[in-house]
Amino acid sequence: MKTPAGGQLSLWKPSRRWSGPGLIVVVLAFAIVFPQQIAQDNIWNLFFLMSLGITMGQSWNMLGGFAGQTSLGHAGFFGIGALVTRTLWLHGTPFILALVVGGVATATFAMIIGAPTFRLRGAYFAIGTLAVAEVLRITVAQNRPFISTMPGDMIASYSLPARYWVALALAVVTTGAAYLLLRSRWSLGILGVREDEEAAQASGVHVLRHKLLALALSALFMGLAGGVFAFKQISYYPEAPFLPTFTFEAMMIAYIGGVGTVAGPVIGGAFFVFVRERLAANLTDVHQVIFGVLFILVVLIFPGGLLEIWERLRRLATRRQQGGPRASGPSPEEEGL
Amino acid sequence: MLLKLEEVSKAFKGLMAVHAVSAEVHEGEILGLIGPNGAGKTTLFNLITGVYPPTEGRVFFEEKDITKVAPHARCWMGIARTFQLVRPFPELSVLDNAAMGRVYGRDPIKSRSRAETACLESLEIVGLTGRASEKAKSLTLVDRKRLELARALAAKPKLLLLDELLAGLNPSEVLTSMQLIKSIRDMGITIIMVEHLVKAVFGVADRIVVLNAGELIAEGTPAEVSSDQNVIDAYLGKSLRV
Repeated sequence: MKTPAGGQLSLWKPSRRWSGPGLIVVVLAFAIVFPQQIAQDNIWNLFFLMSLGITMGQSWNMLGGFAGQTSLGHAGFFGIGALVTRTLWLHGTPFILALVVGGVATATFAMIIGAPTFRLRGAYFAIGTLAVAEVLRITVAQNRPFISTMPGDMIASYSLPARYWVALALAVVTTGAAYLLLRSRWSLGILGVREDEEAAQASGVHVLRHKLLALALSALFMGLAGGVFAFKQISYYPEAPFLPTFTFEAMMIAYIGGVGTVAGPVIGGAFFVFVRERLAANLTDVHQVIFGVLFILVVLIFPGGLLEIWERLRRLATRRQQGGPRASGPSPEEEGL
Repeated sequence: MLLKLEEVSKAFKGLMAVHAVSAEVHEGEILGLIGPNGAGKTTLFNLITGVYPPTEGRVFFEEKDITKVAPHARCWMGIARTFQLVRPFPELSVLDNAAMGRVYGRDPIKSRSRAETACLESLEIVGLTGRASEKAKSLTLVDRKRLELARALAAKPKLLLLDELLAGLNPSEVLTSMQLIKSIRDMGITIIMVEHLVKAVFGVADRIVVLNAGELIAEGTPAEVSSDQNVIDAYLGKSLRV
């Protein structure tokens, strides 16, 4: 029997809904053209931070959104990436090579701590990852207490746009990787682990292997993001990229945009960083309270984030067009969206 | 012989849920597993699927000792199951639920798109092809049970364990499900079914095993078992006039 395996079905995958190639081209063109047109440092800076935020959100989402393993230790990955990349780069390694080594080192570290950490579930896993990241942060703070500054010749030839292009490229690669992951057969097992570990196992899914795969990819991209951070900052304390803020920002970006989707972290990253930079300029630290409240509201009222809000508005609009609200409840199709 | 249990016991902190049960499952049969509440039926299921290891005893599948084999690896060998409280993956589509079995089960298909096409066959067996694109959470109870069955079938099992598939269904759904179970057996799949609805089990099973308080108290055809004094005692209590 022939069944709707093709066209109609594709509408259903959250990954495909937003991937209209037209939209991607428009967003990318804007990200490339706009900063060059304005050509101001604060715009380069804003767009750099947005790209970095998107990468961090995508990274966190691979483990937290797809595999359902809530990590509070992503700052550890960010920090390792920054530490390794910065050290190699300042010692004369070409930046791109240093960046790749930093990312791979982060993923390797994640694999080593992953197997024991995944013995913990739910809240215990979250606390375990937080502990690992904090141990790393304190260790680095103790052993590398002095500020790390680029040498004079590097500062002399420093180019902010170059930093942005690297960050943008990474955001594009990470988003592409998240998309391919969700389309791959591996994602079935990863999502299955999130939905119901025992049922997934009964269907032949090797649970630990799929958790480790999600963790490896997540750590790789978080490490690369840390490397880009190390490439941009002229000087910082080596402890700084290990600060829990980076974990929470990555998590909030994923949730505010739409956790478990590919488009979510892109929307979340752009929105979060834009609002944060605005608020931070006027309100200094109060913006953290505002984001805390926003995060709680999203989790309680719109678990699907901005994507869900957008979907609801769109549905409301189409219903209006069709002549007033219908008396009946949402049809199964609409429920599924 | 497809499955053999050798003196398996399972204790939970002193509570003997299953005690020294030995049984055999023959290829191509429908084996009904019945018993009063707390008889250890689900525990026995979990020992066969490998959710936990037995405290004592051994489990053989196709002559191989699988006592220490993990659940996912047992699925690769050809043991699939449904759960007493239905557990499809709620946020995934019906098609993805079924594809899970085809991608990860026995004789898996490595390409996702080909696995999706292949698992349509098992969706068709349970009558869910038309709803392939819906999320599992939007289905009714009976459809969620069918979906779980499709997911198990997509794993190409040799042995299929059904944990109270008929519970919570209305009489006409019970009848169609019984037909479905028979047709699955006719495809060459051996079935063990745990069921509370004794009448229904007697209607489809070739052989019945009765558990009471963790022990196997009777085994035989439905006719033999229904006239067995031990079974009557277990279900109705001992007669005062004996």
